[in-house]
Amino acid sequence: MALNPLTIRKLKRFRSIKRGYYSFVLLMLLIVVSLFGEMFVNNRPLIVSYEGKWYFPTYGANLTGETFDLDYTYEADYRDLREKFQTEDRGNWMLMPPVPFDPNENNTFEGVFKPAPPSWMGGPQGHWLGTDTTGRDIFARLFYGFRIAIFFSLAFMALTYLIGIAVGCLMGYYGGIFDLIVQRLIEVWSNIPFLYIVIILFSVIPSTFSIPARIGMLLVVMVLFSWTSMTYYMRTATYREKARDYTAAAVVLGAGPTRIIFNHILPNTISTVVTFMPFTIVSAITAITALDFLGFGLPPPTPSMGELLKQGTQTLTTAPWIVSSAFAALVFILILVTFIGEAVREAFDPKKFTTYQ
Amino acid sequence: MQTLKNFRPALGLLCGATLIFLSGCGKKETVETTSSTKTADEAQAFYDEHPEFFHTKTVADIPTDLKWDNGSDLPDLGSPDAQKGGTVNYWIQDFPRTLRIVGPDSNGSFRPWILDDNVMTYASRHPNVTSLTEDGFQYYPGLAKEWALDRANKTVYIRINPEARWSDGEPITTEDVFFNFFFYRSSYIKAPWYNNFYSTKYLGVTRFDDYTFALHFPELRPDIYSLSLGTTPAPAHFYTELGDDFPERYQWKFAPTTGPYTVSEKDVDKGRSITLRRNKDWWAKDNRYYRNRFNPDRVRLVVIRDNAKAFEAFRKGDIDFFNLRLAEDWYDKLPDTAEEVAKGYIQKIKFYNDIPRPTYGLWMNESRPLVDNRDIRAGIQYALNWELVITKFSRGDWGRMQTSSDGYGDFTHPTLKSRTFSIDKALDRFARAGFTKRGPDGILVNDQGERLSVQLTTGYEHYKDVLTILQEEAIKAGLDIRIEILDRTASWKKVQEKKHDMAFVAFNVGPEMFPRYWETNHSANAYDQAFLEDGSVNPDRKVKVQTNNLQIFADYEFDQIIDAYDRSDDLEEMKQMAYQMEELMYKDASFAPGFVIPFMRHGAWNWLKVPDDGNVKIATAFEEYRMFWVDQDLKKATKAARKSGESFEPAVRVFDQYKLD
Repeated sequence: MALNPLTIRKLKRFRSIKRGYYSFVLLMLLIVVSLFGEMFVNNRPLIVSYEGKWYFPTYGANLTGETFDLDYTYEADYRDLREKFQTEDRGNWMLMPPVPFDPNENNTFEGVFKPAPPSWMGGPQGHWLGTDTTGRDIFARLFYGFRIAIFFSLAFMALTYLIGIAVGCLMGYYGGIFDLIVQRLIEVWSNIPFLYIVIILFSVIPSTFSIPARIGMLLVVMVLFSWTSMTYYMRTATYREKARDYTAAAVVLGAGPTRIIFNHILPNTISTVVTFMPFTIVSAITAITALDFLGFGLPPPTPSMGELLKQGTQTLTTAPWIVSSAFAALVFILILVTFIGEAVREAFDPKKFTTYQ
Repeated sequence: MQTLKNFRPALGLLCGATLIFLSGCGKKETVETTSSTKTADEAQAFYDEHPEFFHTKTVADIPTDLKWDNGSDLPDLGSPDAQKGGTVNYWIQDFPRTLRIVGPDSNGSFRPWILDDNVMTYASRHPNVTSLTEDGFQYYPGLAKEWALDRANKTVYIRINPEARWSDGEPITTEDVFFNFFFYRSSYIKAPWYNNFYSTKYLGVTRFDDYTFALHFPELRPDIYSLSLGTTPAPAHFYTELGDDFPERYQWKFAPTTGPYTVSEKDVDKGRSITLRRNKDWWAKDNRYYRNRFNPDRVRLVVIRDNAKAFEAFRKGDIDFFNLRLAEDWYDKLPDTAEEVAKGYIQKIKFYNDIPRPTYGLWMNESRPLVDNRDIRAGIQYALNWELVITKFSRGDWGRMQTSSDGYGDFTHPTLKSRTFSIDKALDRFARAGFTKRGPDGILVNDQGERLSVQLTTGYEHYKDVLTILQEEAIKAGLDIRIEILDRTASWKKVQEKKHDMAFVAFNVGPEMFPRYWETNHSANAYDQAFLEDGSVNPDRKVKVQTNNLQIFADYEFDQIIDAYDRSDDLEEMKQMAYQMEELMYKDASFAPGFVIPFMRHGAWNWLKVPDDGNVKIATAFEEYRMFWVDQDLKKATKAARKSGESFEPAVRVFDQYKLD
């Protein structure tokens, strides 16, 4: 794909801003790793070699206990199985992922379900960040919580921008009475308190919907109430670009409104959009975390940072590692995204030598 | 007569919460009307209109052969060491919506402070002597000086103590007894439950003089005393402006009470705190059963919205006691090694009570797919690992619930046990229902490819962990449980609309003599016209909503037993019927008994003293019987000791004299 020389220059500029660039690389890495999360954080082994046969339980159907000649038909308990392999010493072995815990798996600590401190603070082995109130591994929950949150916010961003940009450009391009009416509609719409709507909706949505469907509905609701802010920027930007000669030229050449808006005007206004993107992601992550914290977000036992924060505030004195892990993870991700955002803004700024204090 | 907690509609609190929720934005202004004068005349007209209900006779008409009882042979209550005075600080989660004791919003969590735990009834069931006599439970006197039961005429005679006074000093007379029926049957109070209750449970009332009256009943139930002695009159001299604006007019007026604590206007700091003040000249302050209770001069209730915050306030000493209900509260948040406990500033009290247990369990809706199959219901029960919850989550403190009526003493089935976790038995039951193969995710599927997946609805956010443990374990038996945790109000609404597959709900029951089955198991609460005349299933029946039959359980034979049970006046016969009904419920498997919490446990600052036996046998809350008192010298000493670092004898006290094995 041939890129516009201007764009290439902006990308180069972005690469030269080290803090933002490395944050970007790190975040991308995290996203890619989380895509294949089941291979890194899971209570299923990557490979099991049993009686000369190899099994790969990570993806696909459950392997029952019977597969390994155990006397039950539910999914094999690989932790027990591993111990069995070791005591029997018949050449059977398995390779566990680096974090051998499932985010929904309750592990006992000292015989009961209660928070266990991180392994380096004297807690049980393997739980790097300790466990939560029912003994679920915090690292695993944060990891999968991150995956859900980041893809949720990416989808959220894509959808709000799609609607926001389209409506904003149309308003700016057509102007006049259309602009006037849509602006009033947006004002009315954006005065509906979004949080209450989510809370009310989520307390009545039946959970006959699967968890992904519920996440989807949350996404739709949030998008419905968030697309409006983007329209203001796009509307002004379009107004400005519309008055330029190249737009008039396109009109003279006979281009239709769709072509003019999306092929001519949009590429020239995109820098506004791009600089907003990381901040939209930040607000989406914050919003979903806040909703989970309030108990109106994702249904249990979906792993989530907000849910961990909530647990953490209730166990501040007894299990401080819960709140500190969740808080640190959240801050870390938000900082990464913010660094990226600053770098993008700087890279897309035509005035190269402006310094932001 | 305010009916006491024995007649609190099951889950009244939740219903109350619904009202609070809906009326959150109600109007604030008082509506002035003219229709609300002359209440006394209106009441008199009401008595005249209903001569079949309100009778006036003379003392000469009282039968002479009555055996009058005054409960004086029962043991005292409370500790003789109790001191009067001081302030007790405690917390409430929401500021009360009203100071009324009836009508919209009055059934909230504040109600016990001014009504259930505070009022003095004609006589009260002795909370320690719980054995049954031929007349039922044993009562000690309150407003009544003495009482008598006339079995042949299904009538209870009551003689009010002439010294009895309302908290504003007015004497309590039979005028207030009559007025009580007018009041609670009137439409002004906007309380249909009471309207219905007072119209159907009583046949009439007779007044003999200012202090003697009789209540007549349509049937003689073994718990007839709780409907008669366990009630109070209503202050006729106070409600003089009844009208359709009753809820607004009396919203913040504290009605004179028969109990020791009152609320005056200056003690209400709206939204922040409310203080109850002890009436030092209470007429009954020397009554044997009351003199050692209700000790603090003031009970200050502060609004704290968050449980964790309230706990911190407790540890600071801002509130005097705190409910350490969950294992993590008792063992982790306030361990015996915590500084305040080790130094003896805070005492930890665990008290085993003996009361009917709230029914924590799963109610399966037989009108929904999958759970309409008895084999699946039984399979689900086998797939629920309550044992793991009890041993690993409650750390062995809870017990397993065996029937829907645990804790009723002789009325609890002696041998019936609930199903215990067994993957093999669960798989066997599911296989009988056609679920034989496991899908790729380990969940069973039938030949049509349908997954064995049911939804579990609850409003109990604090038991979320219990449910996720059950969910994880059920997967082993091939069962997928989808947990739905809703807001309390929303969840209760959903369950009342019978839209749930399974509901995790507990019915809170007062310390009643025998379990109720009509509410939860009668077909009248499951369908409109469940059966045709001949007992066969009505093909056109429709599910009935807004009742407590959450299983939509309808069984013709069962109905007959309930009807006989509800009419019976023979305790032995009723017991046998209760056992039989529990066995049928077990067979039907629509109620999966969960766990019982056989104790209350609290942390309390050491200046809050409790009697040597801790509490009473049937206490459901630390404060319910107000046995405690404030040792003000010790309070000063403790405060000084906290500064100087001095310590006292640590106190972790377990009262297990009422513990059942």
